[in-house]
Amino acid sequence: MSHIHLDVEKLNFSYESGTPVISDLTFHASEHEAVGIIGANGAGKSTFLKLLLGLNLNFTGSIRVEEIPLEKKTLPQIREKIGYVFQDSDSQLFMTTVGEDVAFAPRNYGLPEEEVERRVLAALEKVHISHLRDKSIFKLSGGEKKLASLATILSTSPDMIFLDEPSVALDPKNRRNLIHVLNEFEHLKLIASHDLDFIWDTCSRVVLLSQGQIAADGTPEQILTNQALLEENGLELPLSLTVRENRTPG
Amino acid sequence: MSKIGQAISEIQTLENISREDRWVNRLHPLGKLVLTVFYITVTVSFPKYELAGLAGMLLYPLAVFTVADLSFGDALRRLRVVLPLVMIMGILNPFFDREILLTIGRVPISGGVISMLTLMVKAVLTVLAGYLLIATTPMDEICRAMRVIHIPKIFVIVVLLIYRYVTVFLSEARRITQAYELRAPKQRGVHYKVWGSLLGQMLLRSMDRANDIYESMQLRGFDGNFRLGKKAALRPADFLWPVLWALVILALRLFPVVELIGRIFV
Repeated sequence: MSHIHLDVEKLNFSYESGTPVISDLTFHASEHEAVGIIGANGAGKSTFLKLLLGLNLNFTGSIRVEEIPLEKKTLPQIREKIGYVFQDSDSQLFMTTVGEDVAFAPRNYGLPEEEVERRVLAALEKVHISHLRDKSIFKLSGGEKKLASLATILSTSPDMIFLDEPSVALDPKNRRNLIHVLNEFEHLKLIASHDLDFIWDTCSRVVLLSQGQIAADGTPEQILTNQALLEENGLELPLSLTVRENRTPG
Repeated sequence: MSKIGQAISEIQTLENISREDRWVNRLHPLGKLVLTVFYITVTVSFPKYELAGLAGMLLYPLAVFTVADLSFGDALRRLRVVLPLVMIMGILNPFFDREILLTIGRVPISGGVISMLTLMVKAVLTVLAGYLLIATTPMDEICRAMRVIHIPKIFVIVVLLIYRYVTVFLSEARRITQAYELRAPKQRGVHYKVWGSLLGQMLLRSMDRANDIYESMQLRGFDGNFRLGKKAALRPADFLWPVLWALVILALRLFPVVELIGRIFV
């Protein structure tokens, strides 16, 4: 087994109201996998990602990141291995310039300033925004903000990256650019999204969540082309497949 | 643009001005911060009737406005909310201190009027000094300098987070008021009946956003210490600028420079 892997066993979580959001969920993923987490609104996609990051520890069951059990005392260790891109980039970027924001995590992990500098340059280079290094966060466009958010987590060289609705509010060019950047990242990826075309373009595996449980788990071809399954769970075929189907003669 | 939009834009503009590539901006933040604190301390220390001596203190802001190529008009416009408030200070002095200290032509001027003007000038000069620091030094650099002179880290973190939170709060306020205005096109301003719910919504939303920002910080290893990296080593100019100005400011405070210059011309 590769050293990069994520194991979730019998995960249960509910908010204070008592309504279960995640129910008895078991999930495993390992290196080189790009897993798309799909599901209708309220299916538990974002909650699932946040639980994996330890942003809420009131769950039952177990979450292990590379054999380390997720609990309060292991949070720093686990968070160093995972990068999380928020749905809203404005929530992610809080320093004054792109460079300072990208340097935030490496500095917190106590890396020497020369190494911080090297990582900032490498992360910006990886997402093709080196030219934005000294640009004020206020002045970035939506697409630039998303790429900058991605750079802020790549600077820690994470083993796995989680993204929550990464394609929201991106124009086609920025969307294509993001797909390209994500496909270059070789480690484990978890992408929660409603954008099934984006999932089709970036993921090697798809997990369909419904009412906090896994309703289906398979390849994009198995899940995203199954119209009955998708509709049963409040989703529709990816637009690109619908167009292709409509264009097919006869 | 709405007033809230203007406020956000002003913050963004000031942030951009502070990052412009001018030699004053490139000076080490430590020197600029210490000089500003020194200037404010000396300005405040002038006795209450020393209006003439205080006039000499205008030299420093005027010089910085010139070398930093900043617009004095823009500064006054940006400070238009703060300046009237600080000028209120001492407004009651003329009623309590009625002793006539001098007459201009036939107009008697009481000690209260002079002390009121002195207080107002002091307030304006200190606010201007703060403005000039912010306009020539990015906020993270100022915070870095604060840590160098051992200002408690909790204070520095609070300054940085408030700076970030102000824009978050204003952005939420802009969104919510825009949504209101679009559904109440014939109304001027926000009706008082919805102030409560609007403000409540605004606070809840900005708290949500602030929580997201905090989570983002936590996920990137934030443990209560803001690590801002190292600034390049001090260069001769970084020393020269604050030291020379400190000497000038000290001279203006210890010797009646303005009076001496006045005697030359009279």
